[in-house]
Amino acid sequence: MRKFFPVEELARDERFTQITMRQSEADPRTVLLAEPTGKRPKTNRLTPDRPDASEAARSLMHGIFVGEIQALEGAGRTCFDFETGSGDAPDTVPFALKLDMARQAWDEARHVEISVKLSDWMGSEIGQFAENTVLFEVACSNDPVLRLAGVNRALEGLAIDVFTTMKEFGDMAGDPYLEFCEDWMLADEVTHVKMGSDWLRRVTENDPERRKNALEFQSVVDKIFSFGGTRSDSNESPIGLARRFRELAGFTNTEVQEIADVSLKALEERKAFSAASLNDGDTEHSETGTGTEQLADA
Amino acid sequence: MADPYKPRAPFAPWDRRQLPGTFDVEETARRVGNYKWAEMKLFEALGGWVATVPELDVKMRLGTHCYHHAWHAELWHKRLPELREMNPDRLTVPANDAMERFVEALTEPEAADQTIEKLVGVYRVFIPHFIAAYTYHRNNTSEITDAPTIRSLNFALHDEFDDWRDGEMMIQSLIETPDEVDRAAAHQAKLEKLMLEAGGIAGPGSIGGQ
Repeated sequence: MRKFFPVEELARDERFTQITMRQSEADPRTVLLAEPTGKRPKTNRLTPDRPDASEAARSLMHGIFVGEIQALEGAGRTCFDFETGSGDAPDTVPFALKLDMARQAWDEARHVEISVKLSDWMGSEIGQFAENTVLFEVACSNDPVLRLAGVNRALEGLAIDVFTTMKEFGDMAGDPYLEFCEDWMLADEVTHVKMGSDWLRRVTENDPERRKNALEFQSVVDKIFSFGGTRSDSNESPIGLARRFRELAGFTNTEVQEIADVSLKALEERKAFSAASLNDGDTEHSETGTGTEQLADA
Repeated sequence: MADPYKPRAPFAPWDRRQLPGTFDVEETARRVGNYKWAEMKLFEALGGWVATVPELDVKMRLGTHCYHHAWHAELWHKRLPELREMNPDRLTVPANDAMERFVEALTEPEAADQTIEKLVGVYRVFIPHFIAAYTYHRNNTSEITDAPTIRSLNFALHDEFDDWRDGEMMIQSLIETPDEVDRAAAHQAKLEKLMLEAGGIAGPGSIGGQ
């Protein structure tokens, strides 16, 4: 088995259809449309009173499901891709970090199980929605510290936001089953973020340059995981920023504010990108500097 | 109630544990180091394979089992300093070259259509050998002086049996044709020969009879 498994070769059964971040962003069905009056809606938050609430919740749950699969795969690959060592160089990781990644693999496997059952409960099927593979792409970095920054801090941070939104949705919709499961998964994600923050600090303790690069990478990934404004403090975003749980997970106020700023910026760029795509009828339009391009640069 | 001051035997009549054991501290540390190395290689392989198997149920089980073996490696890592090995890395080694070659052959399959080979290597060869080595160790070490190792062996064996059953059932559910029976058997034989050369997880004498 090779070290460093390419994202294009992620193994799936025939029910799955995989797409890139670019294809996802260019999908006109996900555009933040203005109301017929020409005004923007007051809120896009995922609430039960939205006319499309059922479909949006199913879509989000399917996104959680495939995201958990990729998080499982990423944690597993970090166990395998690097030799056990001091972690001072990018080709080794400490034994204890590998143990944490194995623990995370188990947690993510449970999350896949939970989200499969919740999807079924909500009336959707495996493969009903496309799978965006950007999460595993972030988990593929050759430097384990970038994986910690990208996956444990950025991706798992997003998971905190998503699970909080879904938990609130379950509460508002009177669905204790959904709320119960999301609360459990939320507890795991807070642990994963803390794990990432702790290891990032420890592994780069004597290497400020490597730490700086990792935090820059995290910032790029945070922008990507804002999914073009799908997650931000603005009510125009379906998913809010779960400030309280992020603080529990060890994010400082400054870090949370930086994520809030980058998410808002992503929302504005996304609106411009969507408008251009609709005007041109050109889904390959690419002058807006989307997160995917920045990931490739990083 | 019985008189609390009346002398009682230090070992209750039902407690038949004995002092003598087959392994001294040094030999126990050597075996534990081999176990840790082998458990590490197993959890790394399981983690690496998750992305390569298309079967969703298998993918999830590999992620779960990956942690079980990481936890066993951690148990052995923590046991080594208690066995006077203050540098656990020194003893975290394969039993011999053949064991190293076994692990290389075990982790060779990568393609999406090789799930049978991946599972056979783990659940029909590697894990049965863990069960054998751990059982031999548990049944032959001193029940009193080496109780901490026995406790860890029992925890590990509990997982090994459960995981073996999970794995064997996954293999049986994947094998649908006589050709696939042959594939599974051929891969098992290839790996079993390497394990034979290695002499087991802890080398010759893994299950006694050296």
